[in-house]
Amino acid sequence: MPIAKGSARRVKPYQIIQTITGIAFTLYLLWRLYTVLIGSPSYGADTWARFIIAGSILGSVYALIAIGYTLVYGILRMINFAHGDIMMIGAFGGYFTLEATKNIPVGGTTFSESFPFLAILAAFLVGVSIAALSGYFLEKIAYRPLRGAPRLVPLISAIGASIFLENAAQLLFGAQRRDYANPTVLTRGEGWTLSINGANVILPYTGVLTVVLSVLLMIALYLLVMRTRLGRSMRAVAENKQVAALMGIDVDGVISRTFIISGALAGAAGVMWGIHLGLVYHFVGFIPGIKAFTAAVLGGIGSVPGAMLGGLFLGLVESLGPAVLGISFQLKDVIAFGILVLVLIFRPTGIVGEVLTEEKV
Amino acid sequence: MKTLFRNSLKTGIVFGIITVFLFLIGFTGTAANLLADLLHNESAGLFLGLTPLMLNTAIFLGLIGLWAGVSGASREQDIPGDPFGAAALGGAIAGVAHGLPVGAAVWLIGGLNEQGVAMSTYLAELLPAAVHQFLLGLAPMTAGIFYLLFLTTAGAAGGLLNRVLGRGSRKTRAAIRNRLRESVESLPVLQSLRKSTAGRYAVYGVLLAGLLLLPLVAGQYWNYTIGTVGIYVLLGLGLNIVVGLAGLLDLGYVAFFAIGAYAMALLTAPTPHHLMWNFWLVIPIGIVLAAVTGILLGAPVLRMRGDYLAIVTLGFGEIIRILSKSDDLSDFTGGPRGVPAVAPPDFFGLPINNAIGFVYLIFLAVLLVIFVTNRLQNSRVGRAWEAMREDETVSRAMGINTLLQKLLAFAIGAAFAGLGGALFASRNQFTGPEDFNLMVSINVVAVVIVGGMGSIPGVIAGALVLKGLPEMLRQLEDYRVMVFGALLVVMMLWRPAGLIPSSRRKMEIGRDAGLVETAEEGRGK
Repeated sequence: MPIAKGSARRVKPYQIIQTITGIAFTLYLLWRLYTVLIGSPSYGADTWARFIIAGSILGSVYALIAIGYTLVYGILRMINFAHGDIMMIGAFGGYFTLEATKNIPVGGTTFSESFPFLAILAAFLVGVSIAALSGYFLEKIAYRPLRGAPRLVPLISAIGASIFLENAAQLLFGAQRRDYANPTVLTRGEGWTLSINGANVILPYTGVLTVVLSVLLMIALYLLVMRTRLGRSMRAVAENKQVAALMGIDVDGVISRTFIISGALAGAAGVMWGIHLGLVYHFVGFIPGIKAFTAAVLGGIGSVPGAMLGGLFLGLVESLGPAVLGISFQLKDVIAFGILVLVLIFRPTGIVGEVLTEEKV
Repeated sequence: MKTLFRNSLKTGIVFGIITVFLFLIGFTGTAANLLADLLHNESAGLFLGLTPLMLNTAIFLGLIGLWAGVSGASREQDIPGDPFGAAALGGAIAGVAHGLPVGAAVWLIGGLNEQGVAMSTYLAELLPAAVHQFLLGLAPMTAGIFYLLFLTTAGAAGGLLNRVLGRGSRKTRAAIRNRLRESVESLPVLQSLRKSTAGRYAVYGVLLAGLLLLPLVAGQYWNYTIGTVGIYVLLGLGLNIVVGLAGLLDLGYVAFFAIGAYAMALLTAPTPHHLMWNFWLVIPIGIVLAAVTGILLGAPVLRMRGDYLAIVTLGFGEIIRILSKSDDLSDFTGGPRGVPAVAPPDFFGLPINNAIGFVYLIFLAVLLVIFVTNRLQNSRVGRAWEAMREDETVSRAMGINTLLQKLLAFAIGAAFAGLGGALFASRNQFTGPEDFNLMVSINVVAVVIVGGMGSIPGVIAGALVLKGLPEMLRQLEDYRVMVFGALLVVMMLWRPAGLIPSSRRKMEIGRDAGLVETAEEGRGK
């Protein structure tokens, strides 16, 4: 009898190792948190506030990009590896628009100084539309002909597209990093000053713009997915392509539109990146792309609220992590990738996590 | 007739966009220089008022225009009564659609250039001289109209050329291709070679002898290139086991390469540890270290789904690079500056530090790895890998311990990369974190995919094409990586099984367009 019981739920060695590692890691983390916050505080509250502000701004950008990954993954079960480069294209679109508005003279000064908000709006519109267009053509050229092929094939095609876009941008625009020409109202680094712990903490205007805009976009997207006809067809296609087609849904059209939406969000993220962080170059989308993918996995890939949460969480962890673990800030990318590996090992379904059926997997 | 117009128009527009893009990335200028080398007309005088480079630009665009015409016309089915008229019309329509965007771009860019707008601050290649060359010294509007007419004429000529060459529509072309292939394959020489084992080994022998003599006649530079290609063959064969045979996409393969290289560097170099061990002692250490890392990394992540695995391995590769670069570990790894003065190998006391010796050493390693791969592929283990790649669930039902087999594939692939890394560090006599960026991983993946997953000759062909060819066309260096990316996409669209597909794979999926099912199904949770 005990034998039967044992064989029914045999615990595999790697599970034990996993559990032990998991517990050890959690304990270590708690100990570090205790040390840093209470034991021997290395930073004051003002510094922590700065970390949190930077982290949530970064996190909301990650969240926007992560939504694109999640939407596409939900429908096609493929990682759109070139998604980060769509963001780069959006960032360049915004950059060129701002440069143009800076060079249009209006009554003694320039267009971007006379109408700063129109200029910013134009930058967003151009960046978003160019990125959406690129998303559409990317799907049409590199992914659509591969529909139904084994999963490795579109993934490799996506990697190829990503390399192509990065290097085409380098050849077109040159390799130098370009500074976003923000209007004076939105000068980077300026903002409201908060007094915390006797020190001044700046809440940057560009950061607030980024967070507010991304929250608005996320709400809009949520309404789109949940309330509109297109959103309903997207969910139907994600559930089952064949049945959706039988119900009269134009599957290819829905997939195209999904790429347009995710491209638009990435484009908006790109312009935000430029406005808040300033530097734009051909490789700018790569690391945020990988991080946003991490965020999407973290939240549970395929789930839109998951991607939002995951993005915010990753942004905060990346910003707070080096301080909590007491390692140098050079290694913050290691933390992001480390989290990715840990999540995939311990909880592949993510924070929100739909339970993937064997078919979907 | 309607489809004729629409398809020719589409072809033309695509060609137009591509041509404008080529101009914007400065490729037209590079092509003109290449043509100058080819035609030896660099120092020729003015021709029709054009400098040689302007003439070459026009020739290059004319060739593209011809091509546009050829493909614009071939999209139409043959019209029995009037093959030439339809072809010329199709070609001309493609030519107009090709010429319009090019002409418009020329007009716009030329106009801006004339007004003294410094476009090169935004579009790096649009220097005034380059624009002047592209405009053939004409005024912007004249140049635009010239290009429109020129490309239309070229398109029409291309349409006619399409029929003159007897290529006709796609159907006709396919028929001709098949006839050609059959006549080549029925050559008695090929037939007898294919049948007799001795004949085949004779061919291998001749190839091998040629290969062994090659380093003696090639110069220093070419030996270096051959060595690089050889190292990529090593890496490709290693990744071939992981991706091609076991069907696990590893995008962080460079990590194992780095571990091999750093093992060699840290153990043999005077700084930072002053260990100065012998090369031959370190080679096995590097291999084992890489394999062990492969197992350690693989154990937790190999149960994941295929595309998760790709991202995790990518992350791992980046972690290794960031760690080797970071200042925190610089006492141990040499930090961002890397490790200089890595020891060369010695051959019974004689140091091998010239290019020729290294080429032979790399050849030896390649042969060894080919032998091992070949034996593995045809063994029980190799069959298990391929079964796992095709369908993991079924192979598990057949009694294959998939986790163990995946680990084995990962470890062996990593071991080959470790060997490659050790040789690489020793040859360069230097190792630094920038040698191990993501592009190396991508290059190796490209070598395997372009060559043909699961096929040893394919990997060799892939390394030759991707690492050898660019060395011969040094002027195209700038465009190499971009072409890499495009090549990956095109290969997936056009020939997903690679240049030289593995025979088993061809056998399996000859019926459905050469696509290969890979083992993606991991555990659901």
